[in-house]
Amino acid sequence: MSKVRSYAWLAWRAAVSHPLRAIGRRGTGEERFLASYAVERLAPTGLDVRAAAQAASACISCGLCESGCAMRAAIPAVRDLGLHAAFRLISKSDEMLARSGDALAACTTCTGCETLCPTGVPITRLVRLLSARSVDLDAPRRAPPGEPR
Amino acid sequence: MPPSTRIECDVLVVGGGMAGATAALAARDGGARVVLVRKAPGSTGLSGGAVSVAQDPGCMPDTPFAARAGVVESARRIAATRPGHPYRLLRDRLDRLWNAVEFATGQMSEVLAPPSGRNRWLLTPFGHAHAAAACHRSMAAGDLAEVRGTLVVCGFEGHLGWDPGLIASGAVRVRALGGPTPRAVLLDLFRWEEGALGRPFDLARLLEAPGAAEEAGRVLRRALQRGDAAAVLPAVLGIDPATRVPERIAAEAGIPVAEILSDLPSVPGLRFHRAIEARLAAAGVEVLQGEVRSGAGPDLPAAVGGREVLARSWVLASGRFVGGGIERRGELRESVLGLPVLASEGPFADPSVRFAARPPASLTLRDSRAPQPLLAAGLRVDDELHPLDAEGRVLHPRIFAAGAVVGGHDPSSDGTGMGVAMFTGWLAGRSAAGRGA
Repeated sequence: MSKVRSYAWLAWRAAVSHPLRAIGRRGTGEERFLASYAVERLAPTGLDVRAAAQAASACISCGLCESGCAMRAAIPAVRDLGLHAAFRLISKSDEMLARSGDALAACTTCTGCETLCPTGVPITRLVRLLSARSVDLDAPRRAPPGEPR
Repeated sequence: MPPSTRIECDVLVVGGGMAGATAALAARDGGARVVLVRKAPGSTGLSGGAVSVAQDPGCMPDTPFAARAGVVESARRIAATRPGHPYRLLRDRLDRLWNAVEFATGQMSEVLAPPSGRNRWLLTPFGHAHAAAACHRSMAAGDLAEVRGTLVVCGFEGHLGWDPGLIASGAVRVRALGGPTPRAVLLDLFRWEEGALGRPFDLARLLEAPGAAEEAGRVLRRALQRGDAAAVLPAVLGIDPATRVPERIAAEAGIPVAEILSDLPSVPGLRFHRAIEARLAAAGVEVLQGEVRSGAGPDLPAAVGGREVLARSWVLASGRFVGGGIERRGELRESVLGLPVLASEGPFADPSVRFAARPPASLTLRDSRAPQPLLAAGLRVDDELHPLDAEGRVLHPRIFAAGAVVGGHDPSSDGTGMGVAMFTGWLAGRSAAGRGA
């Protein structure tokens, strides 16, 4: 009996309640995402991020890239984290990403790492995308979103 | 394409790991003009520093030091027990295995200690004893079967993820099997910024600096006790062997000093990679960086990073999953020529089974010690190392395969990875240069 009730509830939501709410919506999906989640310091996962996460998943954490990293010696933040750990943040929580902003910003895009990667991860591209993303994440902290649109 | 971008040569080697380098150098030794194409270091760049050729399958795991069978005899025993293993396939030529190992280690003699024919037992970062036919020069003094007395297991203060106490407690198991008594020592040598930790490549560079290794030796000497026979340190004793870090530490400490095998990130792996690069350049092998994009095989031009290579023979030494020689895109494929990937042993060895397209979960077994069909997946070759197509026919008489791209062995677990790379690379290089074996 409870099964029938739950299906009826789901059918009501799909057929009536959701379409009604959709009529009242304003703005693009991304804007609505930001309005709801920017306070939690979450950024939307776009197609580019998904493609980058796919590319980063080829990483086998061998650490060879570190030996070719020009900034590694100078920046303790990169050294502690490890370069491969830094760019693998693409699939980790945005909270960790915010903390590695300094390390990511230190990248000079010398591509010394990429020629050493056995599995062909586009490390420079990933680091660039991640540092852009970590800057994005800082934005809501500086200027909290106003009224929900 | 303008003619200046076209390179004509006798042998094109695809892959720059141990198998590809050995093939290129063996072909060069036979007088051939050789071009080597590689996109990245490959799994040899991740090596822990041991050259594992064969360990006696009859004496593991409880009596490792009882293994008095030499390396070649151990390989024969593997050939007798493993139906799909490359050693089995090449069993009629196993008497040449040692020639291949001596050739390859001799080419890398700047880094590798000369092999003796018997396995050395080297400590891993997990406290196991690992059999190696050859190893880096910096590791040779750490042979567990040779150390008499106490083995001082050292670590550096602030070395991320390194705990000498843990390694020494693992090495206690080795002691029960006839190994030395381990004792852990932490050397407080480096001054790190607040809260920072050292990673392997940083430590290696710091120790290369003038005075740093000597200081490490003095700190070690102060920590020594009566009965200490040798000291083993993490594998961070310099990237460039010419800086002679282990020798400098040993001279100050007054005790033999060795590195233990490395995990990742691996300084010995980078050392290996650099030694291979240097040797290929010195031998006159032209190295191109890039992937082979189009190219169907010998006598047809292959496009590599804006150049065009026309070769009489090909040696495919593109590696397994790490090197990228075998990929899974929907199904398992060989990535350069699109050859079929076949199982060489186990339940899928029957050619009527379409092994490559099976779901991945069916290729791994829950019992972690059982042979894993996925990890031994690769090309099937004949006894002259010609890759075979799905019907078991030779693809082309002047295409050879070498190293991990050849299936039937599991470089990650069966302790024959470097041996297969050197043996098949040497044979393939000689055959490709027209010298035969």
